[in-house]
Amino acid sequence: MISLRAKRRATNIAASALMYAATFVGLFFLAWILWTTIKLGISAMHWDLFLKDTPAPGDGGYGLRNAFVGSLILMGIALVIGVPVGIMAGTWLAEYGGRSRSADLVRFINDIMLSAPSIEIGLFTYAIIVDPSGHFSAIAGSVALSILMIPIIVRTTDEMLKLVGGEMREAAIALGAPMWTVITKVTWKAARAGMLTGILISLARISGETAPMLFTALNNQYYSTNLGRPIANLPVVIFQFAMSPYQNWQQMAWAGAFIAIVFILLISVSSRLILQRRVNKV
Amino acid sequence: MPASPEASEASTPKVAEQKLQSIAAKITVRNLNFYYGKAKALNDISLEIPERRVTAFIGPSGCGKSTLLRTFNRMFELYQDQRAEGEVIMDGENILHSKKNIALIRSKIGMVFQKPTPFPMSIYDNIAFGIRLYERLSRAEMDARVEGCLRQAALWDEVKDKLDQSGTSLSGGQQQRLCIARTIAVKPEVLLLDEPCSALDPISTAKVEEMIYQLKSEYTVVIVTHNMQQAARASDYTAFMYMGEVVEFGVTHKIFTAPVKSRTEDYITGRFG
Repeated sequence: MISLRAKRRATNIAASALMYAATFVGLFFLAWILWTTIKLGISAMHWDLFLKDTPAPGDGGYGLRNAFVGSLILMGIALVIGVPVGIMAGTWLAEYGGRSRSADLVRFINDIMLSAPSIEIGLFTYAIIVDPSGHFSAIAGSVALSILMIPIIVRTTDEMLKLVGGEMREAAIALGAPMWTVITKVTWKAARAGMLTGILISLARISGETAPMLFTALNNQYYSTNLGRPIANLPVVIFQFAMSPYQNWQQMAWAGAFIAIVFILLISVSSRLILQRRVNKV
Repeated sequence: MPASPEASEASTPKVAEQKLQSIAAKITVRNLNFYYGKAKALNDISLEIPERRVTAFIGPSGCGKSTLLRTFNRMFELYQDQRAEGEVIMDGENILHSKKNIALIRSKIGMVFQKPTPFPMSIYDNIAFGIRLYERLSRAEMDARVEGCLRQAALWDEVKDKLDQSGTSLSGGQQQRLCIARTIAVKPEVLLLDEPCSALDPISTAKVEEMIYQLKSEYTVVIVTHNMQQAARASDYTAFMYMGEVVEFGVTHKIFTAPVKSRTEDYITGRFG
């Protein structure tokens, strides 16, 4: 007869083993992916990647400059559109909407948008910008990216503002400050680390989006900064080059993937540092 | 001039009543009822807060002391299901129905809360924040004002070398004194203190009480406190509240040595609460 204690110990050991195994499996594949990308990416790195533009098929050249510049432009404009909208909406939810019906509805829709397939957003942007204007364009790409960014920024802004205690707001209001001053000068200031992290997270998300680009910004073999025309961008270039039969294209695809991962790593580290500094200050 | 409705029943409070009559009332509360949603929290309160004195509200938890305090500067308006009916009169006007900009009313009635809440900015900016809402001062004038407030709060010597450091870098007691300095920076006439020392250690508490004693020559102070000894130490008048009503109101000394109502006596001697 096995005692209750022994049975519990056995269950505990079994559950722990399963837990460790699951973690190991997850980490194993993650490590494998990272290792492969780093190995193949580093061996393909070259200064020319930043100095020359993407070569024509079969050209044998080496360069990704237009893709980097294009991605930066797309993300920059997406930030300009997405950050104000996201922060304003998040602020409304936390400060004015509270727990009202309309606020709950907005949060619900926002959560759906968070998980919306990015290709749908691409198709939507195609329908409202690309089709009427008659051509693919960088601005369409930026709009699509901003639609992907906004739900993330809204969510994090809402949550971070809610974390700011009501006492601080009351103290500012007791001084006679109008609501808008309380929000901009006190509440935003108190939540700024969290809000900034939300923006960085959304940036990391959109940096690798490929599907929406296929319907909006498309791609461009040449260097272009024309917002009304297709623009080169890293994810689509990686997509195109990786599937090609050309040796140099495939190498550049790995280099591009490596740089994309480094970019996301930098963003993650920065946001962690920002939050850490904030916590230590308090 | 009505004091607490029950006070007219007994003979001793007439002395207190007369004393109050010889001092002007800064705030007069008349037939005040307060509701949290459907629940009534304050029941037909009538009271006078004497000018340039310290008045303490004491009573067991949930009796409505903080609620009453927060009607004076209409803080309850931030929350949808809270409402007040009746009159809270200051300077001849009912604050509750005033057509004036609420900011102007709140600049005359300052409030300090239980938990010290320095703003996420430098010590200097914490004080300047309130001033900047109403006045445009030159750098030199602002410096002088900030220094003046910090001196009044007995904080100047401790922070004069670190005015640009964050307000959150101070200790709890210093933060609370900063909050008080911030409140008096906008030159209010009334100071509402909602359990200002509950979160502080005894030394900080003593400093704050000393500060209150200095301030009462210029401001009308109303302090809500759980600490009866503090009320006895620091206040001139005391209102004892129970279940949303003012049971007894009078000179502090009298309330604590010869209370009229048995319930007051029970509370003060520690039989409940």
